[in-house]
Amino acid sequence: MGGDLAPGEIVTGARRAVDELGLHVVLVGPPELIGDPQGLEVVPCTEVIAMDDDPGASVRKKKDSSLVRAAELVRDGQASAMVSAGNTGATMASALFRMGRLPGVVRPCIATPLPNPGRAPTVMADAGANTECTPEMLVQFAQMASAFSRTRYGIERPSVALLANGEEPTKGSPAGKEAFKLLTALDSINFVGNVEGRDLIPSPVDVVITDGFTGNVALKTLEGSLKFILKMLLEVIGTNEDTRAAGDVLFPHLLPLAGQLSPDTYGGAMLLGLDGICIISHGSSNATAIMNALKQGAELANAGVVDTLRTTIRPDQTA
Amino acid sequence: MSVSRSDILSLVQTQLGEILEKSPSDIIEDATFADLGADSLALIELVEALEESLAKESEGFHIDDEDLEDLTSVRLAVDYVAAKLQAA
Repeated sequence: MGGDLAPGEIVTGARRAVDELGLHVVLVGPPELIGDPQGLEVVPCTEVIAMDDDPGASVRKKKDSSLVRAAELVRDGQASAMVSAGNTGATMASALFRMGRLPGVVRPCIATPLPNPGRAPTVMADAGANTECTPEMLVQFAQMASAFSRTRYGIERPSVALLANGEEPTKGSPAGKEAFKLLTALDSINFVGNVEGRDLIPSPVDVVITDGFTGNVALKTLEGSLKFILKMLLEVIGTNEDTRAAGDVLFPHLLPLAGQLSPDTYGGAMLLGLDGICIISHGSSNATAIMNALKQGAELANAGVVDTLRTTIRPDQTA
Repeated sequence: MSVSRSDILSLVQTQLGEILEKSPSDIIEDATFADLGADSLALIELVEALEESLAKESEGFHIDDEDLEDLTSVRLAVDYVAAKLQAA
């Protein structure tokens, strides 16, 4: 029950997921903060973790918080997935501590879909869970994101690249350069080399691997740039009568494209590597984003993504 | 107290080994958590695992969050847990 627009947009998004998608959704949070649950079941708790709370410490101290309780519902098999637009670090910590890591996984990573108009999204991992990564962690992210791409988007052998400051093997961070060597030697991954920041949207590959710091900065840069371009485009279209008339012609064609590029269409990003499904949504998620995050959680549960990851990452198979 | 210091060391080595995907024998007593690559989330995982395991020996066994920043090595953590159990 976190997020900048909680509880209103969160509850409305959950209600829409029930009405429009037929999902079974429960709200977890203090009833007095949720307000009108719009007819949805509420799992009550007494605490909330604020957006600026320390992730690890708050999860330990606030054991009756909505984040911890939601993760426990997944752990105990009472929910197929959890979705949160609250404190990202605390969401990860609560899911990590309560659901646990899959055997062999050192650290979970955030797998964010990057839109490719006309075809399946590119999966970028890590989009913010681990600011510092070892080469072995990057290889594991590649293994998990490949399995995710295969399960989620039906890509049989996803192409995988490292995000770097040049395509040559000598480019990239020290960990990235070492991961390049490890991935090249790994037959189970369709590693195709490095890509640069300009290759994220649209991307020539199915999976892009990077550390969480770089991934998060890249993601926010893309989102900010797209918003800015859209704003400028709207300003130009509104300049005079002629441009407004042109806008009337263009808008029906532009709107579907805007939908494909909007983060709300995907709703959130999955934490890969945990023994359960946790979808992390934007803090600014609206009702549409929440509905789509819930949809994604349900689809991933039905596709058995956790079991796929469990067999992908086995302790004897890690780099 | 029925848990010896060597039992506690063994428990820390096993649990931290599982968290960091390392062999327990790699978790040597003189190592700092930073040397082992254990970040703050890994340490909290260790604390939660220790609390769960040791609650059987000492009901309500708890490691204070305020003490965590002083526990920078395997040896310091083992000594801390031993002292806590002794005082219980």
